[in-house]
Amino acid sequence: MVPVGACVALGAVLFAIGLVGFLGRRNIILMLVSIEIMLNAINVTLAAFSQHLHDSRGQIVALFVIAVAAAEAAVGLGLLLALARTRPGMKVEQLTELKW
Amino acid sequence: MPIIAGPIAFYYLAAASIASAVLAVTRRNPIHSMLWVLALFLHVAGIFLLAGAEFLAAVQVILYAGAILVFYLFFLMLLDLPGETAEARFGAHWPLCAAAGFGFAALAWFARDPGLVPTAEHAAATDPSPGSLSAVGHALFTQFTLPFEIASLILLAAIVGAVVVAKRRAGA
Repeated sequence: MVPVGACVALGAVLFAIGLVGFLGRRNIILMLVSIEIMLNAINVTLAAFSQHLHDSRGQIVALFVIAVAAAEAAVGLGLLLALARTRPGMKVEQLTELKW
Repeated sequence: MPIIAGPIAFYYLAAASIASAVLAVTRRNPIHSMLWVLALFLHVAGIFLLAGAEFLAAVQVILYAGAILVFYLFFLMLLDLPGETAEARFGAHWPLCAAAGFGFAALAWFARDPGLVPTAEHAAATDPSPGSLSAVGHALFTQFTLPFEIASLILLAAIVGAVVVAKRRAGA
């Protein structure tokens, strides 16, 4: 039996770490990985509530979150591969074409 | 699972996952970051096991740690980023990012609900294994059949989209 409050706190802390990584890192690949960390934090919270409420639907939603994470990884890395052909570095501040 | 081992194992896994997440976000070498993310995913799988989500733990190890993360690692090694370890890891606005992280954590702390602590009667209430594999599978293929199929369609569309986006143009 996992204490659900501690589990939710763990999810919040992991989400905050992923948020800092997404906002702060300069490498685009590590920004995508930070999104994965945030999605994992959500999954921890979902599993904790699934156990707390004795309802297996939370785990099913977590499975869908994992499916979306896989789709995001595939499309995101495909985009980065197309991007890496035209410019060498993987730095987010170099992508300023859409900047107003 | 022994009663004593539960909380100790949980607090070990929680501390280890927070430490690996911090290291993953702050390491200079992207490969090292990926390996710390791998450690994070494995520890989160342990937390899933403790929370009674066995199927989720297996999917976490097989799909997240085994497929998605290896995909990222392949991609990093394919790109072979030169001079990555010599440059600044964080952008110039990193204090703002740290403030956002602390702000989110503070928000979560103030929004927490003390009533979420499981009471004794709640712990003793229903069956001990609500999230067993058979329950998840049954719900997945009865109540959630349509979302399940839509998820497979989304994955197919993502694969085709990734191939189309990453394909070298014929003229270029």
